[in-house]
Amino acid sequence: MSDLLTRVRRGAGEKGPGGPASGRPGRTPRDLVTPGLWLLLGLVLMLLPFYLEAFWLRAGLFAMAAAIGAIGLNLLTGATGQLSLGHAFFLAIGAYGYCVFAGDPDAGVVGFGMPPLLAMVLAVLLAGAAGGIFSPIAGRLRGAYLGIATLALIFIGQHVLFNAHDLTGGYNGRSVPPLDILGFTFDNERVMVASVPFQAVEKLWYLGLILLVLGALFARGILRSRPGRAMNAIRDHRIAAGVMGVPVARYRGAVFIISSMYAGLAGVLLALIFQRTVPSYFGLILALEYLAMIVIGGLGTVGGAVLGAFFVTVIPQVLTRYSEALPLVSAPGTGGVAPGEVSRYLYGAAVVAAVLFLPGGLVRLPAVLRARRARRRAGTTDTGNMEVPS
Amino acid sequence: MRKRSVPSAAVATATVLALALTACSSKAEDDNTGGGGNAGNGDAGDGESLATGPGVTDDTISLGALTDMTGPYATLGVSITQAQQLYVKEVNEEGGVCERDLELTTRDHGYDASQAISAYNELEPNVLAYTQFIGSPFVTAIKDQVDSTDHAVIVAQAWTASLLGSEYIHMVGSTYDVETINAIDFLVDEKGLSEGDSIGHVYFEGDYGENALEGARYAAEELGLTISEQQIKPTDEDMTAQVGTLAREGVSAIIVSAGPRQAASVAGVAAAAGLNVPIIGNNSAFAPQLLATDAAPALLNEFYIAAPTLPIGSEEEGPSTLAEAYLAEYPDATLDNGVVAGWNAARLVTDALRIACDNNDLTREGVAAAMQELNDYDNAFGIVHDFSDPANPSSLESFILTPDTDTPGGLVVEREAFVSELAESFPRE
Amino acid sequence: MTTFLELLITGISLGSVYALIALGFVIIFKSTEVVNFAHASLLLAGGYFAVVSRDTLGFWLALLVGIAGAALLGMLLEFLIIRRYRGRDHSVLAIVTIGIDIVLITELARRIGPQIFSYRDPWGNTMMQLGPVSIPQTRVAAFVVAAALITVFLLAFRYTSWGVAMRAAAEDRGTAALMGVRLGWISASAWAVAGALAAVAALFLSIFPTTGLDRETGLIALKAFPAAIIGGLDSTTGALAGGLIVGVTQSLATGYQSELSFLGNGIGDLAPYLVMVVVLLIRPAGLFGTRELSRV
Repeated sequence: MSDLLTRVRRGAGEKGPGGPASGRPGRTPRDLVTPGLWLLLGLVLMLLPFYLEAFWLRAGLFAMAAAIGAIGLNLLTGATGQLSLGHAFFLAIGAYGYCVFAGDPDAGVVGFGMPPLLAMVLAVLLAGAAGGIFSPIAGRLRGAYLGIATLALIFIGQHVLFNAHDLTGGYNGRSVPPLDILGFTFDNERVMVASVPFQAVEKLWYLGLILLVLGALFARGILRSRPGRAMNAIRDHRIAAGVMGVPVARYRGAVFIISSMYAGLAGVLLALIFQRTVPSYFGLILALEYLAMIVIGGLGTVGGAVLGAFFVTVIPQVLTRYSEALPLVSAPGTGGVAPGEVSRYLYGAAVVAAVLFLPGGLVRLPAVLRARRARRRAGTTDTGNMEVPS
Repeated sequence: MRKRSVPSAAVATATVLALALTACSSKAEDDNTGGGGNAGNGDAGDGESLATGPGVTDDTISLGALTDMTGPYATLGVSITQAQQLYVKEVNEEGGVCERDLELTTRDHGYDASQAISAYNELEPNVLAYTQFIGSPFVTAIKDQVDSTDHAVIVAQAWTASLLGSEYIHMVGSTYDVETINAIDFLVDEKGLSEGDSIGHVYFEGDYGENALEGARYAAEELGLTISEQQIKPTDEDMTAQVGTLAREGVSAIIVSAGPRQAASVAGVAAAAGLNVPIIGNNSAFAPQLLATDAAPALLNEFYIAAPTLPIGSEEEGPSTLAEAYLAEYPDATLDNGVVAGWNAARLVTDALRIACDNNDLTREGVAAAMQELNDYDNAFGIVHDFSDPANPSSLESFILTPDTDTPGGLVVEREAFVSELAESFPRE
Repeated sequence: MTTFLELLITGISLGSVYALIALGFVIIFKSTEVVNFAHASLLLAGGYFAVVSRDTLGFWLALLVGIAGAALLGMLLEFLIIRRYRGRDHSVLAIVTIGIDIVLITELARRIGPQIFSYRDPWGNTMMQLGPVSIPQTRVAAFVVAAALITVFLLAFRYTSWGVAMRAAAEDRGTAALMGVRLGWISASAWAVAGALAAVAALFLSIFPTTGLDRETGLIALKAFPAAIIGGLDSTTGALAGGLIVGVTQSLATGYQSELSFLGNGIGDLAPYLVMVVVLLIRPAGLFGTRELSRV
């Protein structure tokens, strides 16, 4: 067992947490997943709104929004090694930016009444611009200094959200205008599709899927090409990267902006799901959750961010929903453990366990299992030629 | 390139399959399923004409409770939830409502927006009404949805004026602005404050504190007082700087619209610094646990609480019966105002259900209409409520309470329920 | 002027408590290069161990239990988790401490529940008169204790073999190990010291003028982050200066909040972070931190 772990660790070390970026055919699980599997997955995801009840769709949507945000954070923290505790701030900028740009000018809070699609784009750009404003500070700082400096963003953000009533609606937030693309509105108006009523969650599901796929493909493009290698070089050895000709400062600034834009997009999507922006949501806990996501899922990979986002957002929902049926979890006043507490134990422990026992996160789980199976069957150290367990 | 064809193929296949398969989707609507709306199926066995809505079956009525047992309001949430579970248990032992048992489903959202909104929507198709919803931002978030499509009666445990104006969302008792006006009235009437005096107001950022501040500003303007505002955050626990400022400004009284710990720190620092002025807090500014701390002596001297009900330690029948039953059920629990709030809310919903049952309309609209009929509603906690006007709180009255170590719950009545004239004239948009 | 003096003194005494927390934070960073986000839970744990044993042991023994408990917890965390990490990226380890913090805080909050614990300390709520300024005796005690502890630590750091070993380890781990410094022992002891200091801070953060220890008390450790950064993460002197700066800034911003109202209400909590951002703009490694010489 222990030598297995060291071997897996060594494997992870050779390729780096961004393993798939090596792109050798037949070596990583991702490359073994045939287009057929992707087709099936896409099909299932497309069909889910026809079967799943709104609760699960909403949980899925939260996870998709979180996944978009986590991809952005993974570019920054996972791939480039810049610790950010301020991701929630950029999510808030996206969410509130959208509300301000698209908001009704007569509703008592500032609103420009722009077409929602334009507002969405502008909100994402605004988040990017905010990242750009912060990036000179970010560019000067390293490691822990950057992490705690970004913590300041959270507190500044919370202060503004609570106090700038005209802009943010204060403590109770402001309502989110529904998205409208070419006359199709993502609101609660019931639209019958194949005799299934489509309301906001069903409609947004497809929007979320499209945004997530586009976001994931774009990030994967970055990670697998020249910029991605440069980012990993900066993470692994900043000075060496600079010596080799990577424009370190420019890359770090650019990644900060891109990461903020991902956060902004996630914020817009979250706002659309909530239908109301609530300032207390965009606090420190949210920022920590995003870090937990990328560590649990796998640092530096797109798949890791997505997996981690689903893990962290869906588990509390599942536990709360089935709290009555679970052992250990109990009603209040009986001295037992509440479902909310169980989910926190679980994801706190998952962060620790992922780093210690599964470096590379959940995305590496198939590889680890494969290695274990290979070892059990053949007793060899070759981990590359086995089928993917499905 | 090879993969680029996948999404379009998926879309095409998915569309075809979707059309083919939804015939067996449970979500597909045909004539029988209501889909979370207001369909009165009328398939109840008893009373041929009883219309029923979501959450009502032949033998149960399901109610929802959205609480915070793991977040910042955990203390309140646990008390409210336990009181409501106790109430439901008692009602069921006495035969239930409308020949049905009540069933209370509780969801702990830990004061997290995504959890709260998910939990609301999860329970929404399956419950008739909500006896508890902690967290005014979340109630505000679903307000439009409730008003336009869901129509479920919700009794919220947040007494802020921003929640007024919906015929489905109710609060038991006065809002914080009115409560603060009454508190100032008490200071003027009984503590000798007069025109030109200054009052310090230590308040939380957020809607609780800010709503209380609106009331304080209004009353101060009408009475010729000035307010010295000190905003704090829930994480601030040391009130030395705030009280020091108020002392220098020579305030004649302090209002605390914050949590129990902040109120205790204000009282303690003021006493130690020789600032001997009356201190009055809103309903949420006291917890009986405080009387076991070092702040107790300061709290027992010139410290008051304005509250929308009798305290749990009152000898009146309502509170004393509840206190006894609650301690019998939960021997280790603390008696606090959350217990009263939870009990009152559950009782209010249940009484509305009874009226709706008599009206043969156990739908959500029926329950909302029944709430409107409760315009002279005495819940045995000292104040008569009127739920017929959504634009106004159910009552403008407040009790003034004061801490007492020998009473369960730690509070006794200082001044019986009253309404300040200013509270009646307080303008509401 | 009296106002200013009073706010300054309040700020200094509060700042000395922040300095205790920040010092622990810096010690951990120096010896293991870990930014310890689990500091809040160490603080809460120290306080919790002390208050639950208060009734049976009396104040002073209970305080010792709290200090020893937090120190032991710190060591355990180092031994069971931090030491097991094989990677090189220390920001990953920082995220691990976030995971630890979530688990510990949840467990402690569950145990504490709705209770507000009182230390029933010997100082009570008496005020002391310092010239024109009156200040709670507990604050004076906090300042004295913090100053004494910090002095002791700085001396130990300079003159004991433990201190020399720790400085050697901070300088160059590899060479230190070759010179016979037991790195494992050094990091474990650093975590223990940090836990102990946090437990002392917990005491002064939960007695008068604060009401008592409850589930939220740990959050105050967040104030130590800007303190440590302002001073410089690898500087013990910096922790002291940073703590005082944060305390004074916060006290002044709160006291003069009506003059600062154009920034929005409740600026007091935000002010330390604003100061931190300004300091970082001028000195990216904090006031006393080691500046990195490499430039590319």
